Amino acid sequence: MPAAAYLTGFGRYLPGPPVENDDIARILGGDDPVTDRIRRRVLAANGIRQRHYALGADGRPKELNEELAAKAVTAALDDRGLQANDLRMLACATTMGDVLVPGFASMVHGRLGGGPMQTLSVSGVCTSSLAALDAAAAKIRLGDHPRAAVVGSELASRSLHQSRFDGRREGLDSHFLRWMLSDGAGAVVLEFQPHPSRPSLRLDWVRQVSLADRHPACMTAGLRGGEARPGDTWQDLSVADAEAAGMFVLRQDIGMLGDLAEEGIRQFEELVDTGLVDIGRLDHVLCHYSTNAFRDIALDAIRRRAPRLDEDRWFSNLETCGNTGSASIFIALEEAWRTGRFAVGDTILLAVPESGRFSFAFAQLTVVGPDTRKDV
Amino acid sequence: MTIETSADTTLASRLALVWEELEERLERVPILQRLEAGDVTIVDYTRLLFNLRQQVVDGTPWISRAASNFDAEHFALRSAAIRHAEEEHRDHLMLERDYVAVGGSLDDLRGGRKNIGSEALSGYMFHYASRPNPIGLLGAMFIIEGLGAKRAAGWAGRFQEVLGLADNQVHFMRYHQEADAQHTGALDAILASDLIDDAAADEIVRCAQVVARLYALQLEELDR
Repeated sequence: MPAAAYLTGFGRYLPGPPVENDDIARILGGDDPVTDRIRRRVLAANGIRQRHYALGADGRPKELNEELAAKAVTAALDDRGLQANDLRMLACATTMGDVLVPGFASMVHGRLGGGPMQTLSVSGVCTSSLAALDAAAAKIRLGDHPRAAVVGSELASRSLHQSRFDGRREGLDSHFLRWMLSDGAGAVVLEFQPHPSRPSLRLDWVRQVSLADRHPACMTAGLRGGEARPGDTWQDLSVADAEAAGMFVLRQDIGMLGDLAEEGIRQFEELVDTGLVDIGRLDHVLCHYSTNAFRDIALDAIRRRAPRLDEDRWFSNLETCGNTGSASIFIALEEAWRTGRFAVGDTILLAVPESGRFSFAFAQLTVVGPDTRKDV
Repeated sequence: MTIETSADTTLASRLALVWEELEERLERVPILQRLEAGDVTIVDYTRLLFNLRQQVVDGTPWISRAASNFDAEHFALRSAAIRHAEEEHRDHLMLERDYVAVGGSLDDLRGGRKNIGSEALSGYMFHYASRPNPIGLLGAMFIIEGLGAKRAAGWAGRFQEVLGLADNQVHFMRYHQEADAQHTGALDAILASDLIDDAAADEIVRCAQVVARLYALQLEELDR
């Protein structure tokens, strides 16, 4: 049996109560007739019905991103029956931490506690959590650490509030994300041995690829006009000037999303062509997508290769948990695990396209039973 | 045990017989039987490391003590013992890293107690090493280095195979295949040299018999 990494604990933290579509404006603001109309249109397209925000009634954050991450890790540890001091590594993924310095993982470790351990901060967008998983799993497989936690967390709502939009006339590039993103964290515990008394998910492989060499940035903040130029990023201007230039608004170049979907399908096809994915043995697909509009595109692409894959083998909780960026894939995995979708022997494909600048991450998991050998 | 002394039997063949008896005894050691059958758990591996460590940490001290008790007439043996002690004085640290790499606590490991077999083995070694010119200890080395060179890597490989362990979790057992093979080469040269007279050969064989029995006892008495 080769050395492997097993996912043995699953946790998530979604701040506050679920927020229904009609209640979003109460928290994020933006209830003027024009904004209201755009919001309804965006929501109708993305299909999200509920999401969570770490904001109070006044629209101000009530928690830090590091707190969301630490709570999700604690939930995953509880699920596995471990403590933070059992961990030797903490890999944290997020799009934006709470502070400029130090690194996000240092802050999460400080909040989590648990003794000395290796930390890794992965910054990126949606694929960053699978990049963190890949790095932690590699250390487990090498035998450097017996146990690690991996967390993806986001507190995007602070960039979505009306205060960022006051006095600005923003187009669909910002509204698309404003009514799509929300807050949350998802975490997994990784170990070098399977769970002693219940099934675990063996990580078969992770594949992450960037196509930034052939595509411009697609989802941006902190720059002007979608292109980074010397002396003209948010760090080069006063905060007021950067804000006035709309640099703190998250934007998506919607015109590129068709290309993104095509590239994603090409990457999936390559996994099949090279044999990493065996279509005949693909039991579950958990795909992260930003809006339901991409759901059918992705499902059709996989169906072309795997006609027997029923829709009930396809899992997403975008509609009820929202799009939480890097946290989404772990939040979906946690729910699929907790609700008993997986049986021993099943294979699970995780698929995460990232619009940031065209990157894609996939991972395959196999459900394995506990070790039946008994300690003497 | 059978042959005690025999003028017409070489030291090498007498030691080979001791080794053969040790191998037969090891086949009856429970943890090694389970390892062979593929029934060991990660708890077994962790426990084995824990038990070995409590005696391995004494290895260099008894070799050093032996070195200090060889007089000038046994200068070659003194030099060999000093060299051997220097080569092995960090071995227990490697074992400790393996133990931590499979999730064990370094504090627990370092705070551990010797099992009954380790107590007997370690006590015997220090006792013997305290004698003037403890030449019989070459027999102890024949057994201990022989286990490292001939058996440890096999155990490591089997634990890896059964439990899916990485190389970084079995350093101690793997490393000894190479290191102890070098040591046994040097040992063989000494055993074949004119440093060993008949009386010394008898002592060496007797010490090998005792150490073989106590080493097996250490493996039989895990955690006791």
